Parts: sequence; C-alpha cells; structure tokens
Amino acid sequence: MLELANIGVRFGGLQAIDDVSLSVAAGEIVGLVGPNGAGKTTMFNVISGTVRPQSGSLRFDGHDIAPLPAYTRARRGIGRTFQIPQPMHSLTVTENLTVAQRYGTGRVDARALAEILDLVQLTDHASRDAATELSLTELKALEMAKALATKPRILLLDEVLAGLEANGKRTFTQLLADIHRRYGLAILIIEHDIETISTLCPRVAVLNFGRLIADGTPDIVFSQPDVVASYTGMVAHA
Amino acid sequence: MFAQRIGIYVALAIALYVLVPFAFAGNLYLMSMIIASLTIGGIALAWALLGNLGGLVSFGHAAFFGVGSYASALLVMKAGWPIGASLLAGGVCAALAAILMLPALRLRGPYFALAVLAYAHIFRIIATEWKGLTNGAGGIGNIPRFPVVFGYDFASKTGAYWIVLSLVLAFALIYWRIRDSHAGLALRAMHDSEDATRAVGVNSVLLKALMLFLSAFMTGVMGAFNAHYINFLEPDYAFSGLWTMLPIVAAIFGGYRTVLGPLIGAVVVYLADQLVFKALMPIGHQIVLGALLGTIILFAPEGMLSVFAKRPWRPDRTRVTTGLRDA
Repeated sequence: MLELANIGVRFGGLQAIDDVSLSVAAGEIVGLVGPNGAGKTTMFNVISGTVRPQSGSLRFDGHDIAPLPAYTRARRGIGRTFQIPQPMHSLTVTENLTVAQRYGTGRVDARALAEILDLVQLTDHASRDAATELSLTELKALEMAKALATKPRILLLDEVLAGLEANGKRTFTQLLADIHRRYGLAILIIEHDIETISTLCPRVAVLNFGRLIADGTPDIVFSQPDVVASYTGMVAHA
Repeated sequence: MFAQRIGIYVALAIALYVLVPFAFAGNLYLMSMIIASLTIGGIALAWALLGNLGGLVSFGHAAFFGVGSYASALLVMKAGWPIGASLLAGGVCAALAAILMLPALRLRGPYFALAVLAYAHIFRIIATEWKGLTNGAGGIGNIPRFPVVFGYDFASKTGAYWIVLSLVLAFALIYWRIRDSHAGLALRAMHDSEDATRAVGVNSVLLKALMLFLSAFMTGVMGAFNAHYINFLEPDYAFSGLWTMLPIVAAIFGGYRTVLGPLIGAVVVYLADQLVFKALMPIGHQIVLGALLGTIILFAPEGMLSVFAKRPWRPDRTRVTTGLRDA
C-alpha cells in the first residue's frame, strides 16, 4: 500500500533521513520507534506531504505521490495526527470533524461523524466545547477523530500516547485496536513506550540518526544490540 | 425562529431604506457622513473575509479601493461604459490587481501584512506616474455622477445612500453565507492551524486566493461607487492608507466574525470620529480612535457586539466528564 524507497531528507547540514526504505501493507500496524531526533516525525512529514525529500520515491497504492501536495494526499487516504495536537481551537469539536470530513472525503455524513465521536468518547463535547476547552487526553482523541473523519486508508499517529498517564495509555491502546478492527486501515505509529508498541504492533521499524537500523517483529527488533544501543546510548557489543 | 429572525432583518432593512433618509435627508452634512461610514463599512466587510475569517491581516485594501475607483471612472469617461456596468468592472479590475498579490499568500502573519502593504504602494505609484491614463497627481475631475433612473436622481444624497446601502447589505449577505458555509469553516480552521487544515484535505492556498479575489472585488466596487459619488480622484486620495486603516479598525471594533460587526463598527467609529471627536479635538482626533481600539482589544477582543451579546443570565456551560478525561 505505502512504499518508501531510498528516501533522503537534508535540512541544511543535517541529514535528517538517510536512504530509508519502508513499506506498509494494507491493514498492517507498524510501530516506528527510535530516540529523539532519529527522524521519525520527518518521515511522517515526508509521507503526508509537509516535507519534500531530496531523493527517493514515494508510492501509495502503486501511484507516485511525491509530487502531490499535502491536501491531495489527505484526500487520497493518508490521515495523520500531530505530535503536539493541532485542533482548530476556535471551532467546536463537531466543526473540527466537519471540516476534516467535508474536505477529506468531499461530503458530510452526520452518521459517520457521530460514530467517530462515539468511538473516541467525545460525543458529550460535540457541540458545546471549543477545542481549547479539552484536556490533553481529549485533544489527542480529537486529533485521531479528525484524521478518521477524512476516511483514511492509512493512519499516521505521531506519539498519540505521549504525556498520558498509565490508565490513559491503556484506554488509548484499546481505542487504537478498536479503530484498527472497525475500519481495517493500516496504521503507522510513532511511540516511545516499548511495551505499548510491543502489544499493539506485530511489526516494528527502528530509526536512528535518520537511518533505518531494524525492521521486524518486536521481540527480534528489541533484542538487537544496535537498537538497544540507540536507546541507551551504549556501544553495542556483539 | 428562523422566520422570525428573517422578519427582523427585513424590517431592519426597510427601516434603513426609508427611515434614515426620512429623518436625515434635510441634513446634507450628516447624510454625507452616513454615506462615507457605509462606504467604509463595505470595505470592512470585504476586509473581514480575509482578516476576521481567514486570519490574513491585509494592509493593502487601499490598493483595491484605488484600482476600483480609477477603473470605473476611466471606463465611463474614456470608453463610454454605463455606470452600473463600470461599478462591477471596477470590482473585477481590483480582483485582477489581486493576482499580483498571490505570491504573498505563501507568507503568514506580519510577513503577509507587510508584503501586501508593499504591493499596495506599487499601485499608488502607477496611478501617479501613468499620466497618460490617470492624469497623474493632477487627478481626474468631473467624473460622471450616478444617473437619473425613472425620474429619480441617484446623484442626490439620498440616491447615493440607497446605492451604498444596497451594496453594503449585499456584501453582508455574501459575508454571512460564506461565514456559515463549509468554506467559512475551513477558513476559520486555517486561521487556527494551516498545517492541520491541509492535513485534512483543505487546499488552503486556493481558499485564500479565492477569498483575496472576492475581498478585492468587493473593495473595488466600493471604490468605484465612491469615484462616482465624489466625482473626483487623485492618487493620494484614492490609494490613501485611510481606506485600509479605518476598515480594519471598524472590523475589529465591531465584532470578530459577526456579520453586522464590521458594518456597525464602521458607522459607530466613523460617525463618532467625525461628529464627536473631531469637534472636541480638531487636530489629532484619530488618537481617540486608537485609544478606543486598544481598549476594545484589551477588554473585549471579540469586538463591541460581543459585549452586548453576552447574556449574564445564561447558565454556565457545565462540563461533562468523559472516560477519556478521567483516564
């Protein structure tokens, strides 16, 4: 479904992404992990169209999407959330979702919106609360709801669990599993919590200093010495 | 409820068309002030499309006003166009002038505002230097006035009032329809977070460009109206910064994202300035406007109308706690 081949992104003197190839199949959940500054969010920006890579190819459903702007990619089925939630804060929760659905899918379907609100447990806030009045957990739920309203076929989730307490993480992990089961969409998720990633994702890819250093099942990937070293900062000894 | 609201608007419109001329037609000075305030109100509505809805603060609307003025005057005087058609053509020419401002749409915040200000200055220089067409700094005199239609002279104060009132009400309707449409919602969303809006499928550049064209068109029509109302044009007047500054003050003062806010703001601000502050303080009376605007921004940032719209008897919103909040 999503195929990135030999992607390279350079910001001035910094090689943020270095020759990374990664693919995500339809309906697959893939965890994207790595230490801070590894290039994970840059990868999301490349896929969603916010950042243009200097090299490599980017295909979605077999089509070259590299020349397409971000809004067209969203309409083609690439939904994303932001690490720091970016609600349209002067709009109500429903209006946030209405914009996403209207422009992401070309029409407004009130029943589908109600279903999404119910799924992310924001129904009670639908018409009364502006997005600025939401708690962090609710803002993260709104981020996901906005992405879901565009009817994506792949969902890019950028640290949706960050900043949540243990209960919140469990609730969200269950929510992600529900979303995956109900909509059957592919999910690429950035997350630092190894336990959550191991529970949720049958496959994990690891970035370090812009390079892909591992890609496989969680138990194999997280036992690789260079992956451990990338997190601990210790030199790997084979 | 909806029918009742429409009924109120219709009654209000009739009162504006009939009662105002009936009450003030004998006072030509006051009628002039009312017409000028409505002209500013029309520009304020056009500005609010970009500024209040889309968050694009334009310091360049004087350019659209000036281009509309000159285009309409020249089309009537040199090409023999009827004034009705030239009013619309003035708007179209202003929208065409806005094409030159498209590159500025890539900028945000103060950078956009400054880029548009620079563009606006270019048009003033063109109007001054292109003497063969505009007569340069000497200006254009004897611009044809509004015609007599069915025996009624629309060049009279009351006739001009009816024309400008009709234009302004049409603009208010356009503003209302856009604000309450999905495009209006997307504009407001874009104002909050352009990246997030693009990520859900909104073509933000196209939307901003369309609003810029529409805003320029509306401002150009007001400029065209003004040219035939005052019958004289010169670059320093047609492209004066006041045509930018006063509508901005009106749009912010009146009400943030309300339909009538920019209009009421324009009437209140202009009439208060001209009839009260100027009488009390003949030199530098605009300083009071500045102080007033500062007060509004500090204490009622959503505008004057929001102060009246607040209903203290309305119960506070009770937050309903969700499982997610607790989690």
